[in-house]
Amino acid sequence: MTQTADTATDKQASRQTPADRSASALRADGLRKRYGRTTVVDDVGFDIKQGEIVGFLGPNGAGKTTTLRMMAGLIRPSAGTREVLERPTPGPTLREVGTMIEEPSFYPYMTGYGNLEYVALLHGGVPASRIDEVLRFVRMENAADKKLSAYSQGMRQRLGLARALLWRPKVLILDEPTNGLDPVGIAEFRESLRSVAAEGVTVFVSSHILAEIEKLVERVIVIEGGQLLFDGPLRDLTQQLDEQQVRYQLAATDAAALQQALRDAGLEPTSDEKNTMLRVDVPKGEADTLLSRLAEQGVQVLEARRETESLESAYLRLLKQDGRPS
Amino acid sequence: MSAFVNVIRAELYKAVRKRRFYIVFGLQWLLLPVLVLLIGWLLIANVSGTFADTGAEVAMIVQEIASPFGMARVSLVLPALLAPPFLIIVIALIAALFMGEERSQNMWKTVVTAQPNRFAVLFGKLAAAMIVLAVFLIGALLASVVFGTVGMLFLPTDFSGDWGSVIGLYGLQWVFAIAGMLFAFLMVWLIRSIPFGIVAIFFLPPLFEGLYSIYRATVGFDRLNRFNAFLQAIELQQTLQNLPRYFFTNNLYGPSREPLGEIARAFGGDTSGVDGPLANILGFNFDITRSLITMGVYALIFGVILTWSFVRRDID
Repeated sequence: MTQTADTATDKQASRQTPADRSASALRADGLRKRYGRTTVVDDVGFDIKQGEIVGFLGPNGAGKTTTLRMMAGLIRPSAGTREVLERPTPGPTLREVGTMIEEPSFYPYMTGYGNLEYVALLHGGVPASRIDEVLRFVRMENAADKKLSAYSQGMRQRLGLARALLWRPKVLILDEPTNGLDPVGIAEFRESLRSVAAEGVTVFVSSHILAEIEKLVERVIVIEGGQLLFDGPLRDLTQQLDEQQVRYQLAATDAAALQQALRDAGLEPTSDEKNTMLRVDVPKGEADTLLSRLAEQGVQVLEARRETESLESAYLRLLKQDGRPS
Repeated sequence: MSAFVNVIRAELYKAVRKRRFYIVFGLQWLLLPVLVLLIGWLLIANVSGTFADTGAEVAMIVQEIASPFGMARVSLVLPALLAPPFLIIVIALIAALFMGEERSQNMWKTVVTAQPNRFAVLFGKLAAAMIVLAVFLIGALLASVVFGTVGMLFLPTDFSGDWGSVIGLYGLQWVFAIAGMLFAFLMVWLIRSIPFGIVAIFFLPPLFEGLYSIYRATVGFDRLNRFNAFLQAIELQQTLQNLPRYFFTNNLYGPSREPLGEIARAFGGDTSGVDGPLANILGFNFDITRSLITMGVYALIFGVILTWSFVRRDID
């Protein structure tokens, strides 16, 4: 998808100035959404600058989609304010937002091209050449004349991205955009988003696939139970947690003795996927002395690996720390 | 204004790609005229000149129904007489496409992000729906002219007729249908289901009107005794005669049913008096101006509720 990215977004680049990059693209303040007595989103606030690419993380039911829907003007918050490009929402700046919220849907009796043409007419000001351009960008030009009923899930996702880019939005709101894509498709999708973001488009993307977010974004917002848990650079999230705990993978001649020694030290070892090593999170202050203490107890450690914290493990531990099931 | 025009263009783009319309419109534009021509031909071939046609009434009847003018009138009247009337079926189908399908295909989120101006979306869709309905009515009129002209080749018919009046009634029926379309939009939008929305469009108004009639016929009358029975019977009759004048379903088809009196007279019916039995059954005893005002009030009520709901409701 990247080979045509430049042509797809060259005008976006020309619109972005350095001054814009300090301006707010999406801002939420005290956002709350209640359905009856259930509070789905509770006092969520963030400020995403123009040109940023931000990941939005949270388990199922955390309130991600509801938050994205509120930002896209689809649903009204019960409390709080939303701004798009520094203007209150709903307002005229919503026209500058491209969205792909949950599974992209289309009219099945129309072709892929027809669906894009319909949306182009609806939005207005989109030349016909732009439809060909975004179709090439998502590598769907050869399937554009097929009816949607013949599209695979992956093709629908690509067409959804093409549709979101149709009117050269300044802000992209994407909810689980890689759902249903195969690994190659995911990689291509990631590259597409990178090239779009490189041209100055703000991308706010939620995903369950943490490895994808890790490769794509520099900043993450974590939400759980409708409440904000973390908002900051990705490295801060991993470092912050890494500072508190260190993860070790250990193998010993006597695995049972190792396990017992770790438990005696007040730690909670777990087996790895292959059941060959024990994994244990150690408070940072005790990490350096762990191996010597095990040796003192007569445990002969064969192998010890100090793991670098991945986003996934940091994320899961963040949820655990908050006292919620991960 | 441009957002409104954009929505109309997009919705019409969608409508021309919907096969359902071609089938339904084909019934009105092709099947109905062909059937009328067939009836005209059967009348001429089998009844004309027989003992039953002593005064050459058959030729007159064929002129009334199968001439270009007669067919244009029949194309207006007949869809309003079926049960449920074909006109409301067409209105329901149009509403289902423009409002119901967005929900069934989960397209609302796309529509209102591509065009965030919800007023423009709603009224653009309504305008597009009314354009499609205008195409339906104009097509019916033109098809009548074409098929009626073809019929002149083998039927004793001609172009004569009060064309200005019938074209005016087509236009008026379109205006009346605005309230019908708003009602259909409202039902499909509120009920959030195309099948249930369509059922509601067909059956809710008659249901409410029936219940209201029963209510008016049973409440507000004194206990019956030998002295007041006659007066209360008159009052009841007047109540039941007056009520339908303000009912949605009766007024909606006012312009379509207007020429019924002439057609009924052509067939020898007694159409004397606005409250005569034939007039009451067929519903052509409505004053068009009053009907127009009544439908205007309905349109206002439906339009306000629909707009309020459409602008405020969350998109799932």
